[in-house]
Amino acid sequence: MEQINYINEHPLPGQIGHFLILLSFVGALLSSVAYFFSTQHQIKRLSRERSWKMIGRVAFAAHGISVFGIIGVIFYIMVNKYYEYWYVFEHVSNSLSQRYILSAFWEGQEGSFLLWMFWHAVLGFVLMFGAKKWEAPTLAVIALVQTFLASMILGLFFGPDDVKIGSNPLVLVRDVQNIPLFSNPEYQIPDGQGLNALLQNYWMTIHPPTLFLGFASTIVPFAYAIAGLWTRQHKSWLRPMLPWSLFSAAILGLGILMGGAWAYEALSFGGYWAWDPVENMSLVPWLVLVAGVHTALIAKNTGYSIRSTYLFMMLTFILIVYSTFLTRSGVLGDTSVHAFTEMGLEWQLVLFLATFLILSIAMLIARRKSIPSPQREESAYSKEFWMFIGSLVLIFSSVLITFTTSIPVYNKVVQFFSPDAVPLSAPEDAVAHYNKYQIWIAVLIGIFSGITQFLRYKDHKGFQSKYFRKISIHIGIAALAALILTFVSKYMINMNAWQYWVLMFASIFTVLANGDYLMAIARGNIKVAASPIAHIGFGIMIIGTMASGLNKEIISSRTMMNVDLIEGFDAKDAGDNVLLRKNLPTQMGDYLVTYRSDTIIRQNRYFQIDYKRLNDRDKVIEEFTLEPNILYDRQFSKIEASNPSTKHYVHRDIFTHISALPKAEMEPRFAKELEDSLNYIKYEIRLGDTIKTKNFHVTFAGYNANPVSAYYRPRQGDVAKGAILRVFQKGTDTTLVRKATPVIVARGNAEYGVADKIPEFKFKVKFSDDHFNQENGLNYQQYELKEGTPQRVGKFEVTFEGFEREIDREKYGIVSEIAVGARLKITDTETKEDTIAVPIFYIDGDRTLNIAEEVREWGVKFQFARPNPETGDITVLVADNLPKEEKIIVEIAENALHDYVVMQAIVFPGINLFWFGSLLMLIGLAMGMWQRYVEAKRMA
Amino acid sequence: MKATHIIIVVVIAAAVGVLVMASGDMSAYATFTDAASTQNTVKVVGQLSKDKEMYYNPEEDPNFFSFFVKDEEGVEKKVILKAAKPQDFEKSESIVLTGAMKGDEFVATDMLMKCPSKYKDEEIRIKSQS
Repeated sequence: MEQINYINEHPLPGQIGHFLILLSFVGALLSSVAYFFSTQHQIKRLSRERSWKMIGRVAFAAHGISVFGIIGVIFYIMVNKYYEYWYVFEHVSNSLSQRYILSAFWEGQEGSFLLWMFWHAVLGFVLMFGAKKWEAPTLAVIALVQTFLASMILGLFFGPDDVKIGSNPLVLVRDVQNIPLFSNPEYQIPDGQGLNALLQNYWMTIHPPTLFLGFASTIVPFAYAIAGLWTRQHKSWLRPMLPWSLFSAAILGLGILMGGAWAYEALSFGGYWAWDPVENMSLVPWLVLVAGVHTALIAKNTGYSIRSTYLFMMLTFILIVYSTFLTRSGVLGDTSVHAFTEMGLEWQLVLFLATFLILSIAMLIARRKSIPSPQREESAYSKEFWMFIGSLVLIFSSVLITFTTSIPVYNKVVQFFSPDAVPLSAPEDAVAHYNKYQIWIAVLIGIFSGITQFLRYKDHKGFQSKYFRKISIHIGIAALAALILTFVSKYMINMNAWQYWVLMFASIFTVLANGDYLMAIARGNIKVAASPIAHIGFGIMIIGTMASGLNKEIISSRTMMNVDLIEGFDAKDAGDNVLLRKNLPTQMGDYLVTYRSDTIIRQNRYFQIDYKRLNDRDKVIEEFTLEPNILYDRQFSKIEASNPSTKHYVHRDIFTHISALPKAEMEPRFAKELEDSLNYIKYEIRLGDTIKTKNFHVTFAGYNANPVSAYYRPRQGDVAKGAILRVFQKGTDTTLVRKATPVIVARGNAEYGVADKIPEFKFKVKFSDDHFNQENGLNYQQYELKEGTPQRVGKFEVTFEGFEREIDREKYGIVSEIAVGARLKITDTETKEDTIAVPIFYIDGDRTLNIAEEVREWGVKFQFARPNPETGDITVLVADNLPKEEKIIVEIAENALHDYVVMQAIVFPGINLFWFGSLLMLIGLAMGMWQRYVEAKRMA
Repeated sequence: MKATHIIIVVVIAAAVGVLVMASGDMSAYATFTDAASTQNTVKVVGQLSKDKEMYYNPEEDPNFFSFFVKDEEGVEKKVILKAAKPQDFEKSESIVLTGAMKGDEFVATDMLMKCPSKYKDEEIRIKSQS
């Protein structure tokens, strides 16, 4: 094939990137092998340990630097918008602002793999410098994982069938698409596809890196577990591993929580947790990890549960890989709203998963005999016993969640063997399904954590010891207080099933018991505060979940209007959405809600929704405005996303989002259709008169020279005049008068009418074509006027008395500096009466304009066409056939406007308890990490 | 046998028990024909009939959206969703409906749409500038 020399491409970054990708793969592989031999030499006390380690280090450094380099190259081509690269073309566009470049980078699978590798590389470097004797075995594991991950971005094809290995982020569009354009050596791609609108917010900038650091950090406990088994140092791996596992639990927890916050703040889910498979599969490793942290503490303090710690720490990482497989292989397809689509790497992911699963199992089996375990049985009074049970409860929880979440996987497996099998479906009501079982997990955790906090390791004495009797009293009092508070809490939280009462009791109990422990037993000692704080956080989080979940009130589904007006209204039939007409207040729950206005800022359209709460005497006691918005695409031809807006109070949130708009505004192609369908009727209205239409009284009250209407936005240079119409509905209170101002505007050389509307009346008005014809029917004559010399015009005598330089610019809406009025004296030759008219001439830019003046009762109108500076004369146009009665001819459409929003409003009480509790739990984990880090350092 | 072992056995037994219970919540995907023969809530997978009418008039009822879906056996039914019309609905490839038949109509309480990926099958929009 002929080689084409493409002149507009930027091949250099691509070439560097390809090289770095290969280097990162080879570096990781070499590093893994070198560290493997280093470890073997370390175990067998052979001489080459150090030299292998040096090779491992250099290779890992080459790998890590390559990963940073690849990321740098991709950023470079993204920032410079080299659209010939497929990744740039797919994820960037000209209109994408630079602050979303990061989001665009990890929108794609390749980018998120790189993010994952980036954190692994960083963690690898930290271990390289800090892990000392654990460096070789842990880095052997990390480098092996990196080898697999690097293979995901290799983009190589092998064998006769072109088996694809990895998806390369630096391929060119012309490598992917085969279209005639690419036979042109000067081709250029002007714009890219851009970032999905839903992802264009700051959550997308901070959530993925945090979550991926959480994912990536689970590799450290995993690597330590493998290292412990490998080197048979079954006890000493625990101490350095513990701070890492707590770090991982805190960061992964934070990442998951951020996902919830994102869903709640920026997406229209109306909640923070939906038991979606993608959410579940990030929660499950966290649960197993937390179980592992507990068994590791047992193992470190008592020597029990070492085997479980190995198992849980390895399982955590395996589950992270499994979760990656589920979300990236396209298996979840039908069951999740936010899974990635297929990338053709399924078999590679399966291989990745299988390798580490088999490796873990094989290591456990090979070393099962050498793992020590105390002969003596744990006592049922001891802390280790109940902590272990608690860990089992967490594992139980994760098994349940994984079981249901993996249904699509069983279906795939079953269909592989028997293609005719009927696929299973996920539970009909996923949320209810998960809640039903997980509620008991939370109950057990609450009760166990409250009691176990007081217990001591290796306590065999039980009630024989003074300490045990003392804590029994503490626990008893906490339980009693929790029972009382549970009954008190029913006045705040509506617990509609007995299960919730139990859960409430367990949550309050753990908060009280742990709080009591912190103050009475630990006496505020910061060194042991981590655990009670984390468990108090857990209890508060569950209380918050109940408060916001059970008492969540969709106020938009029970509007006063519906309840009062619909015969036989059944609350069950109420949907969640309500239609709000503009300016028409609607009662929702405690609030009087009004859709007041909307504003367009760039591609976003913000709706101002006013909320007011009135007391018995109709006095406003609470008032705020929410601004949910929708995001249009670049052409304003369709809606890309609907973003909610939330009013936050300490004790509750009011959440609002737009679910639909009038068809004409969802898709502007319907706008013309709608206008055409309106039934306009023509009316003539004299100044000061009131006419009756079908539903309204309409008064023509006068003119406004600075008009604003729903459709008219003044532009510089416009000469506009609005007719002020006062409108009120027949049979209503005349105080409910609304104003409409249809506008006539001269812009450039054209003159046209702009309509106005009164949304709450569904009233629309515009000038009729006949109105313009009325103006056009005037018979203007041109005259040159000399100052002081009367000019006969029909039966009038017109005298130019001089220029008026003081013009009320504001009144006429004139911005120009050059404006002058001509003072004209008009005398009726029959009646000998005089009057004055001052038509105005002005220059705006390069246009000469004038504002006419009329003497309506005499039927005469003047235009100041231009002054003639050489002679001092002026040129005026005079029409003397002006109708004596001033009237406008307008067209009015009634009952035809669709100006509304369809929205949803939800009140979440106590949701801040959820956020506060979750954060407290994470703070507890972080404190624990610090405490264990200091301890490990001291012991080292 | 140690107490821990007994507890592990008990936990495993409980786990198996609960999993069996939990699997009771799962069912096979149904078709409209299946749905017609039962009073229960079922899940139906199908495709939107793009040539048939989609009706949503929020001024009448903001929580009423009707459309037609063809299930995997090719049976077509009118579906009523008691919610607002979702965005991009016309683009959906396959739809999973949760609900029950009422007369000849399927009343859905929940719906999951699978939209095509942003790029898949989309003719690449590039204009040559030469």
